[in-house]
Amino acid sequence: MDLVTGQEVLDEKRSEDDHNISSWFTSTKNLSEKPLAKPSSSTKRPASSSMNLLEDLFFFFFLTRALITHTNAIMEGDQETEVYTLVARKPSFDLPTACPNCLPAYIYLKLAQLPFELAFNSTFPDSDELPYFENGTYVAYNNEDGGVIEKLKKDGIVNLDVPLQTLPEYLSLKALIVSWLGEALTYEIWVGTEGISTSKIYYSDLPWVISKALFYKQTYMAKNRLGITKETAEQREKQIYKRASEAYEALSTRLGEQKFLFEDRPSSLDAFLLSHILFIIQALPETSALRCKLLEHSNLVRYAEKLKAEFLEASSSSPSPPLHSFPSSFSRKGSKPKSKPKVEKTAEEKKFKKRARFFLAAQFLAVVMYLSVMGGGSSDELEYEDEDD
Amino acid sequence: MANPAEELDVNPPIREPEEEEVVEELNGDEEGEEEEEEEDNEGEDDDTESKSQTRKGRSSADRINAESLFRRMRAAPVPVRVHDVIVRGNQKTKDHIIEAELEAAREATTLQELLEASRVANSNLRALDIFDSVNITLDSGPPELPGTTNVVIEVVESKSPLTGQIGVYTRAEARSSSLEASLKYKNIFGYGDIWDGSIVHGYDNSAEVGLGMYLPRFRGFSTPFTSRLYLSTQDWLKFSSYKERSLGLSLGLLSSKYHELVYTIAWRNLIDPSQAASASIRRQLGHTFLSALKYTFKFDQRNSYLRPTNGYAFVSTSQIGGLAPDSRSLRFLKQEIDLRYAVPFGFYNTALNFGVSGGVSFPWGSGYQNRPSSVPERFFLGGNSSPLCSLGGPSALWGFKTRGLGPNEPRRKGDSERDFVGGDAAVTAFADLSFDLPVRWLRERGIHGHVFASVGNMAKLSENEFRNFSAPKFLETVRTSVGAGIVLPTSVFRMELNYCHVLKKQEHDQARSGVCVTFSASS
Repeated sequence: MDLVTGQEVLDEKRSEDDHNISSWFTSTKNLSEKPLAKPSSSTKRPASSSMNLLEDLFFFFFLTRALITHTNAIMEGDQETEVYTLVARKPSFDLPTACPNCLPAYIYLKLAQLPFELAFNSTFPDSDELPYFENGTYVAYNNEDGGVIEKLKKDGIVNLDVPLQTLPEYLSLKALIVSWLGEALTYEIWVGTEGISTSKIYYSDLPWVISKALFYKQTYMAKNRLGITKETAEQREKQIYKRASEAYEALSTRLGEQKFLFEDRPSSLDAFLLSHILFIIQALPETSALRCKLLEHSNLVRYAEKLKAEFLEASSSSPSPPLHSFPSSFSRKGSKPKSKPKVEKTAEEKKFKKRARFFLAAQFLAVVMYLSVMGGGSSDELEYEDEDD
Repeated sequence: MANPAEELDVNPPIREPEEEEVVEELNGDEEGEEEEEEEDNEGEDDDTESKSQTRKGRSSADRINAESLFRRMRAAPVPVRVHDVIVRGNQKTKDHIIEAELEAAREATTLQELLEASRVANSNLRALDIFDSVNITLDSGPPELPGTTNVVIEVVESKSPLTGQIGVYTRAEARSSSLEASLKYKNIFGYGDIWDGSIVHGYDNSAEVGLGMYLPRFRGFSTPFTSRLYLSTQDWLKFSSYKERSLGLSLGLLSSKYHELVYTIAWRNLIDPSQAASASIRRQLGHTFLSALKYTFKFDQRNSYLRPTNGYAFVSTSQIGGLAPDSRSLRFLKQEIDLRYAVPFGFYNTALNFGVSGGVSFPWGSGYQNRPSSVPERFFLGGNSSPLCSLGGPSALWGFKTRGLGPNEPRRKGDSERDFVGGDAAVTAFADLSFDLPVRWLRERGIHGHVFASVGNMAKLSENEFRNFSAPKFLETVRTSVGAGIVLPTSVFRMELNYCHVLKKQEHDQARSGVCVTFSASS
């Protein structure tokens, strides 16, 4: 499906009636809601043949619908579309996105088999908003609500962890991966390898001056976050590496030869772990201590390679139809509680601002009247006085 | 001794009115008698102090000599040659800085030319702003060389090199007027250099801190050289959901009456602390490196900047960005044109002002047709300034709020406002009829009334939108407003109290029919 040619075709028919389309959407939506799986679960299509015919019909409807809504979105810009976009940092080191903060989100969406487009932002290396996930006017930033993945789960876009969240091991594994391994990775990128890889990850599109300044800034901030000062540097390094080793040991034991961390279903923890392993193996230099520690656990490496082959390399060509996504699901949960306090605030603010404006205007008028009465146009300051010698 | 200077037994006209008479007689009608000029008596060697003492003791013979000289000068050019230029009183300032102003005087062949050149040199030296007083005297040359004269320049350097000032200005890079407080340190190295540190608060929600240096003469070039290192922020959160921070250096390479060339190199950062920006603004957030050259040609023949009643003006600004060996800097081309014309009518000081402003901005480089243009380089229309006084490209339109019209996009879900993202091409035009009010008290203060009409429109051209651009559609969606009001010019700014009525606007435009106030800088 080529959305661009589709748009050109539809550009000729600009006077399409939206109401007809939207009523048509709701009718197809009602039809489609019953037999298909929920958006949060993993994707296994039903096997019966009657379902296949229905699915083909739905495929056609959704295809046209996606084309039309995409065009409308481009023309009007405020309709919600079916096109999901993940904005991440640029690819490098044979990874779809080289940034270790963006890669988990990418992998998570791939594991959930949610079709999305990848867009790049290469000018904001020190932003914690990236990666962000957008769909029309809905945006999920990485610095809100605990990260993009958490936000996607909360807003019901895609949730792989529903049956797993109650398990006690889930939380402890999550803490292990996100904090201990996360810290080890941050340390290794900025301090352990002295930022060798960062120029390709973050600064490939920025001129030298800016990239140098930002590199120093980000190194400083990373050291702050990890609590590394001149006095504590050595001790902290030992602690970080020790914890990383123990975490690898524990994960390796836990994983064994399983495909995923939890039974046979992918979860967000798989996304975090996979991204961690892939990044360390591919993006860090061979002299990296952390990389050596990781390579000792061959089952982790095998796990990563298997999942990479299955999810990351295979599915990049044909985008499957958006069977899991309905505008209703996130339009319900999309409205944030943030909007309420905002409305109250603006009412009060407006009143205050109005009063302040009247006061300022009165002041100004007074000053101006005074100036014009006393000034009166005598602005000729070019008269130099002649002086005696 | 046939030294023509000797015959100048002029009663040294130190008293102002008498001297002005002399100058007026010689040079016709001149305004602003700022300089003092003396003709020395023969035989006295550069003794200016004794002149004042002997002033009272002058005999009528000297006066007769002076009158005969003036008769000669009125009749025919009096030949004279400059033998030497002597500079006195400068301790810090280098001689060549002062002597450079006298180049024209050195080449003068007649007394009239010499006087004219000296007058110009005097005003130039005062304009350097580093002297408390400047005196140019024509002394007689050495006795053995007839027909020569020495030009003596006496300067008194400023005792306190540190000055502070506060004012409202319109700077070249800024798009609107601003309130500026600066501290100046003059002539540290003796080259006429002026160093200043300043804090600027602009009316378009901007703040800037900067250090500047001004050199009147740079290595033989006769145009001044300015440089400014600045750190500035501009807050557009309310209108376009972004804040712009920039650290840069701007060099004024050429600055003459008609031409101006400025090179800017800057590190610009766009951020969105509100995290509610629309899609296209979100894509633009981040750091950019700017290396741009801006050339302005300005030809302003109107009789006044604040209330033009006669004349015309033409300003063209061209900007090219991306002049760096690094292809990762911001590449864009921007061109703005302003035309103004004022037609006077005879009665009540009435004048009709026309104006057209247009601009276009486009990226260049590989894939330039698909790339979006950079948001700060786009055009935004609307605001609290008057189109009559703004000569910096299309920016003002009566009746529309700041950044209140043009392409706009919905913000993040949950925020009902829209972001105005600006256009790549913008055109505005206006017509303004100004007239004096019948009340004499108001007339004396310069307060007058006006009736106006303005139109404007913007279009997006980047990201392949130029293929969809059509002139009829552009004209169809043009915004129009009319109104009338009172203009209060003060020495600091020009204020207008208007009632605007928006005749035509598009959906989502922030326009309001009603009372609106505009401010424009008076410089």
